[in-house]
Amino acid sequence: METLKLNGVERQYASGQMPATLAALLADLGVDGSAVVAEVDGAIVPAAGFAETPVAAGQSIELIKFMGGG
Amino acid sequence: MDTLTIAQRRFGSRLLIGTGKFSSPQVMAAAVAASGAEIVTVALRRVDIDNPSDDTLREIDREKLLLLPNTSGARDAAEAVRLARLARAATGIEWVKLEVTPDPYYLLPDPVGTLEAATTLVKEGFVVLPYINADPILARRLEDVGTATVMPLASPIGSNQGMRTRAALEIIIEQSNVPVVVDAGLGLPSHAAEAMEIGADAVLVNTAIATAADPVEMATAFRLAVEAGRRAYLSGPRAPLRRAEASSPLTGFLRDEVTKP
Repeated sequence: METLKLNGVERQYASGQMPATLAALLADLGVDGSAVVAEVDGAIVPAAGFAETPVAAGQSIELIKFMGGG
Repeated sequence: MDTLTIAQRRFGSRLLIGTGKFSSPQVMAAAVAASGAEIVTVALRRVDIDNPSDDTLREIDREKLLLLPNTSGARDAAEAVRLARLARAATGIEWVKLEVTPDPYYLLPDPVGTLEAATTLVKEGFVVLPYINADPILARRLEDVGTATVMPLASPIGSNQGMRTRAALEIIIEQSNVPVVVDAGLGLPSHAAEAMEIGADAVLVNTAIATAADPVEMATAFRLAVEAGRRAYLSGPRAPLRRAEASSPLTGFLRDEVTKP
């Protein structure tokens, strides 16, 4: 098993099943990446970089988007 | 109405709208359109992994409206700076409404953390619009570090209490060299008009519109009130007097004057 921390919650993947990139991770989750910004272990990744950003076991990934707010 | 200029950008509307608490994105968009606002605030939050299709902002026309990301939820300067950087990475927008609110009950802004975060963000090239208590000295300090506006509160966020800080707001307006946007606590159009009448450059409203039974009609009411207040301010209102001052002539009364011997 491999583990990824996603928005503060640990997710388990069977060996070899973890998405290889942020873009693949978002597709796997059914999240439209165009309106999302990510943080991988604290480093900001804008949507344009999702396809080239590798995902690895043990990382902490935050997926963040805009919501209504004052 | 005369235009509002913030950081060299001109706006026809002096009403900023917050996009939180609306019953649907469609109602929010209709209310924003009715308000005439050209600046709308938005918040950054974690994607809901279990409901990823929720997209409040798809209704916002970014061609017509300036998105103003806020740092709501930040409890200290570091969290606010992190949120501002994320917002810029997500949109390319350098404008940020800076909020540092460690107290969950009154949501009052932390002046020390706000000044610290503003200093960092201005150095990083952000256009910073800081949410502050109505503190004239803090307003001056923020202006000195290069914020684009100051946004003093009228009363606590979402409280609808109106212009509780009026005396301090008047001092801020008198002394400020950057636009003063009265933010938070304006519950009625009359509150917004009062802020504009004393010379505020703009107001920001969210809860009063979003939670009204008819948000679109309330947005219209706020638009009219802001315009009325601005026009009144520009008209040069006279100060209150303790005694009456007749509006009608004090000569030519229809009575015989008693001539004294």
